[in-house]
Amino acid sequence: MFLQLKELSKSYKHIQAVKYLNLEIDKGELLSILGPSGCGKTTTLRMVGGFIAPDHGRVIIQGQDITQMPPNLRPTATVFQSYALFPHMNVLENVIYSLKFKGMKRKQMLKKGEEMLEMVGLKHYRYQSINQLSGGEQQRIALARALVMNPKVLLLDEPLSNLDAKLRIKMRKEIKDLQSALKITTLYVTHDQEEALSISDRLVLMNEGTVEQIGEPQEIYKNPKNIFVADFIGRTNFITNTEGKLLAVRPEHIIISDTEAVGSMPGQVIQKQFTGAYVTYFIDIDSKVIQADLPDTRNLKWEKGDNIFISFAEDSAVKIEM
Amino acid sequence: MNNGRKNTPNKLMPLQKGIFTRDISFSNLIASSVYITLAVSVAVFIIWPTIAILMESVYYDGQFTLTQYISLFTENQQLLLNSIWVSTLSTFLAVVLGLIVALFISHSANRGKKTVFAVLLLTLISPPFVSALSYIMLFGRRGIITYNLLGLNINPYGWHGVVLLQSIGHASIAALIILGVLRGIDKSLEQASLDLGANSLQTLLKITIPLAKPGIVAAALICFVQSLADFGTPVIIGGNFTVLATEAYLNVIGLYNLPRAAAMGTLLLIPALIMFIIYRNVVKNSQYFSVRQSNESTLVLSKWLNIILGVITWSFVAFQLIQYITILWGAFARTWGVDFSLSLKHINALGSSQIASFVRSLEYSFLAALIGSLIGLILAYMIERKKFPGYQILDFMVTLPYMIPGPFLGIAYVLAFHDYPLLLTGTAFIVVVNCIYRQLPIGTKAATTVLTQLNPEIEYGARDLGASEIHAFKDVVLPALKPAFLISFINTFTTTMITIGAIIFLMVPGSEVATVQMFNAIKTGDIGLSAVIANMIIIATLGINLAFSYFILRPARHKDTMEKEMAYVPAIEGIK
Repeated sequence: MFLQLKELSKSYKHIQAVKYLNLEIDKGELLSILGPSGCGKTTTLRMVGGFIAPDHGRVIIQGQDITQMPPNLRPTATVFQSYALFPHMNVLENVIYSLKFKGMKRKQMLKKGEEMLEMVGLKHYRYQSINQLSGGEQQRIALARALVMNPKVLLLDEPLSNLDAKLRIKMRKEIKDLQSALKITTLYVTHDQEEALSISDRLVLMNEGTVEQIGEPQEIYKNPKNIFVADFIGRTNFITNTEGKLLAVRPEHIIISDTEAVGSMPGQVIQKQFTGAYVTYFIDIDSKVIQADLPDTRNLKWEKGDNIFISFAEDSAVKIEM
Repeated sequence: MNNGRKNTPNKLMPLQKGIFTRDISFSNLIASSVYITLAVSVAVFIIWPTIAILMESVYYDGQFTLTQYISLFTENQQLLLNSIWVSTLSTFLAVVLGLIVALFISHSANRGKKTVFAVLLLTLISPPFVSALSYIMLFGRRGIITYNLLGLNINPYGWHGVVLLQSIGHASIAALIILGVLRGIDKSLEQASLDLGANSLQTLLKITIPLAKPGIVAAALICFVQSLADFGTPVIIGGNFTVLATEAYLNVIGLYNLPRAAAMGTLLLIPALIMFIIYRNVVKNSQYFSVRQSNESTLVLSKWLNIILGVITWSFVAFQLIQYITILWGAFARTWGVDFSLSLKHINALGSSQIASFVRSLEYSFLAALIGSLIGLILAYMIERKKFPGYQILDFMVTLPYMIPGPFLGIAYVLAFHDYPLLLTGTAFIVVVNCIYRQLPIGTKAATTVLTQLNPEIEYGARDLGASEIHAFKDVVLPALKPAFLISFINTFTTTMITIGAIIFLMVPGSEVATVQMFNAIKTGDIGLSAVIANMIIIATLGINLAFSYFILRPARHKDTMEKEMAYVPAIEGIK
């Protein structure tokens, strides 16, 4: 394993932000840390970067314990949420800033900088002031600046949260492409689960300082371990079955029918929302609201107030341990 | 607009206290007359004196002539060179020292930071001759260090002392200005620099200080103008070394050569104007400024950097404190330089004249603060919100005194009001007016800053519910402006208590203020008396500032009062 976090802990006054966190990340892997606000994901990232000193635990990269190292000596590079581009330098100067401290000659620095800018497609902007760039462009510059120093670990702190929805989708693909081309070990912090699911090799879901579940995106989506995971990732219906066990069923697995069948539950449609690719039905079953997603390819005739029956395939339901 | 709404305020009564139910139907007329009165007063008390002094310097015997200026440039080159030399050198030193102190406060891990900051604030509210007086007491002919300790009998007077005192004195304001800018710098930029491999010193040099450039330039401009206008220090310890400010004083008080004094005053104005224009256009519009709340730096300085910054800063603090301690001691030492035993001799020797002038200082300060702050509020409202016709000109006129050096305005007032129809020199009225209009920019700026951050929709809401313009102003805007009023009040009170540069020209024997009495005492060599007066002034200004901080700015226990205090932050920031 390339990057190892061992028993990492950090408290602020009475709040334990990170509780004995253990993580192992392989070389070249993109691991997302996902979770609600305050779950400890940013604190963890900053401990790896060296901006926060952990109360307990160690950070080890390629066998080297870097826990006591100051940030400028660590082989990590961070892309901050606000990008933190230096406003008094132009694009190229921003990108090559780190190379000065590696003892490179000016000519070589400029060459490397331009190569990096070429890779993110912004070489023609190299003499521009950073204030004239758009959000997406600034993001790419920040990325270029971090990558040009060949860090062993790349740390991304909610890099896309300042961008609008469409741009986010475009940029996350670019980040993923760049990351896999360079095969650089990456820790990616985000609160946007769609982002995490789409680009991660593996995904860590954190809550209140601890790990709820680690795994590949598909695994986490299909087999959430507990209520929190099931609820946080995607939308879930929680249904108690006849044996009293709690089941988690995704809206896309709910089947609506006019007729009763074995094991189906009666209910009434209380709302119908058209979301583009599919229609979400909100159904009242025994005073609980169940969501069902149906693709809008067929003529969906059910309207508010209709009495219908819902059911689901047994293997699409996940048993949740209480 | 007020018709048919007479019932609405009644309906609101149970919900909101303090709304008048009387409907003033001619509120617009009142608003207009207030506006016109204030605008006229600004013209009379700011523009007219400026014109008067400019005219005096170029009109002789009814003819337009530049002889005064020509003679200044040919015969008195030395004078001009002296002024430029002293001001440039002291500005440079002050900014360097201020930068170091500011970096110390914003970046070091030293726990004494708050003390340093407090000392900086203390130096801002001190009377003008504190450093000169303590300098004489320590290093003068009978100075405790030079004479009593070292047995020397040296002459401490000259430009060295002036530069030294001005540098250290102005370093405080430089530090505060630079500190304000440092606090607004996005801390993640420093973190990014560390992340990319720079150590703390490299980060300070390549990132922090370049980003603080607007603050450094602003500080330099202000220090330069203040140094040029500094009358107190060179007049006391300059000795034979004369600068424009001292010569201007001499020409008015001693020689009564008003045209000459007017020319000198105008020469003082020109660099101030240039600096102000540069400040407005270059520094203020810089995008590096952010009026955000301060966030503590997470940049950890290396050990040596911490030590060096610390040593310099604490030496600076020690130097400042020694001044105050010296003056305090001087008030109680029997005869400074000869007999240092403690005695109340000087306090008992306080004559009715000195006490009267101290009381007069308090009165003037209070009046100027009260009236000036009110005028500032109303003007800010008229300029910022109402945008009455001609508001841009009014805005400019109001900020004019900001850049006018004290001696210039003092001479200007003498020239403007020593003859009919406005024969006002020698009255208390003109002194108070001078102090009001000199500080008007501060009050107006503080109020303007608060107003720009106040959502105008709140006022629209009040109008929508039936309030007239005056009601909307009284019920919605005025309460929000309270922080600006108080800041302006404290500021004007303090400044008036410690001012001398302008009003020394307006003083009449028998009705002087405390600072003038102090000046006289120093001139006659009465160390004890001048020390006593100095301490009285310090206690007064310190007292009111501490009261202000304690009762109004202290950390809140309740969330709602915390929000009110946060309103002071933009007002304070806006003054810079």
